[in-house]
Amino acid sequence: MSALSSNGGETLRIEQIAKSFGGLTVFQDISFEIKPGALLGVIGPNGAGKTTMINTISGRLHLSSGRAMLGNTRVDGQSVFDNAKRGLVRSFQQTANFSGYTVEDNLTSALRFSGQDRSSLSRLTPLLDRFGLIEHWNRNAEILPYGLQKMLGLTMALATKPRMLLLDEPAAGLEKSERTNVDIYVQYARDEIGCGVMLVEHDMDLIKRLCREVIVLDGGRLIAQGEPADVLNRKDVIDAYLGGADDEDEHAQHS
Amino acid sequence: MKELPASERAPFFGTYEKVTLGLLLLAFAVPFLTRNPQILSQSNLILIAATAALGVYIMLRMDLMSFAVPAFMAVGGYTVAMLGIRSGVTDVFALAAAAFLVSALCAVPLGWMILRLKGVYFVLVTFVLTEICQLLLFEAGPLTGGSNGLVGMPSVTVFGYEMYDNSHVLMITAGLAFVGFLIAAVLTRALRYEFAAIEKNDVLAESLGLACWKYKALAFSVAAGVSGLAGFALVNMLLTAHPTSFSPLSSVNYITYAIVGGKGSILGTLIGAAILVSATEFFALRGELSPGLYGLLIIVMTLVAPGGIMGLAENFFRRFGKRDSKALETKVAVQSGSGHS
Repeated sequence: MSALSSNGGETLRIEQIAKSFGGLTVFQDISFEIKPGALLGVIGPNGAGKTTMINTISGRLHLSSGRAMLGNTRVDGQSVFDNAKRGLVRSFQQTANFSGYTVEDNLTSALRFSGQDRSSLSRLTPLLDRFGLIEHWNRNAEILPYGLQKMLGLTMALATKPRMLLLDEPAAGLEKSERTNVDIYVQYARDEIGCGVMLVEHDMDLIKRLCREVIVLDGGRLIAQGEPADVLNRKDVIDAYLGGADDEDEHAQHS
Repeated sequence: MKELPASERAPFFGTYEKVTLGLLLLAFAVPFLTRNPQILSQSNLILIAATAALGVYIMLRMDLMSFAVPAFMAVGGYTVAMLGIRSGVTDVFALAAAAFLVSALCAVPLGWMILRLKGVYFVLVTFVLTEICQLLLFEAGPLTGGSNGLVGMPSVTVFGYEMYDNSHVLMITAGLAFVGFLIAAVLTRALRYEFAAIEKNDVLAESLGLACWKYKALAFSVAAGVSGLAGFALVNMLLTAHPTSFSPLSSVNYITYAIVGGKGSILGTLIGAAILVSATEFFALRGELSPGLYGLLIIVMTLVAPGGIMGLAENFFRRFGKRDSKALETKVAVQSGSGHS
């Protein structure tokens, strides 16, 4: 890890969190921990509660029970911008940048909002070069190809010098050739910035490549935790993704 | 590995701000060029309308359409009238400071209540706020003079010199308009990144660490203060503070000035007010057809120039300019502190 640019990460501790909307329980009884510089993969079928979990940890939604701690600070229930200032930064599934602004202005905004000056941009130069964003430096971000917009949004999150990154499907919508950029991005965040990463993703190849530990959510419950090679071969995990035997029988009866 | 391109440092004020402030300085020359009361009166009305429309312009920077301008104009106007009539304060600097500060301070608790709203909800609540203000002006007789208003305001003074005739009144209005535009220009330029981020994607802005509510509250308060200056100018012109001068429906006019002029730049507010106030006066000569003609003009302008007059002008120069159109477009957006109008 580069001592010069390291941000001194903090451990994210999630303790028995649950979220309900009225009578609908989105997730419950979920606990895990991410240490500085560590990476935890979070997988699960659509509707498992992954994005809602990011929304609650980052402060966008309130938890129904449990708590989320970044170091010694409780972060759930705090405002999103206060948590971002503490270093708990999230990304979005869709492209996220300020339309009408150039690549440079988007990155400048991210630095400005996190209280840094433009000189901090230099530490991101290798990433910006790798993603091809320097070539489009003075172009309007909204007319860039989807893949570039996506990497711009992710780099903006990294520009804030996070201590803990919550990545919400960073590879979604990217072409196969572009997905290696996510590998590089995550590696850079961990090694050069020194922050922990929670990676919510559907791309199992990416998960297998990057993660040493994953958790699996299904129906709002944590059903498995461990190394990807073990977890992804478990029957309950395969059932969660492909539909269980009971579901198949039921489906056969209906048809 | 490629190096990051060198950053072009944009001047604090862009072209639009410089041109706008320059035009306002020219307004000081009008009383020296003519004694024609109609021109003086017309110039007065344009400057007051433009200053009032600034309250809309500032809030539109964050995609919030405010109908509260007449309410804060009333606060500024009545503050000045009370100080003049009841306390004998006539110094223009003291009165301007009072009009700005009292209006701005009134906006703080109101902003705390309503700035969590967006879109039509914000529009609705600010409109109701103006209705309530109008009601209070009529009902709080001992304080506001009720339906009689506050009459008999003394002429204001500048360094002890009494400003009593038409040309003097225009000088005061031009001064207040200049201060209002200067404050709005400094605010929207200094915080252009923050305002643009809130306008374009406030969820993303917060996730990057921007406390959006602080900037909204500051802008709402400053917009109220600038509206208070417009209220001062109006009361000073009429020498009376009356509830009907601050009718809730007049907020539609101020919004129209900002949008027809082009909400993307401060110059649009001045140009929109100049054209539409002049059009109102011109159409008034056609008697009962006046409102219809005015409405028709707004429909035509909205259809022809959805980005306002300034948007139309920018498109014209872009089409005939030689520079890279897309780069220019984005640079214009950043320099004017706006997105696309």
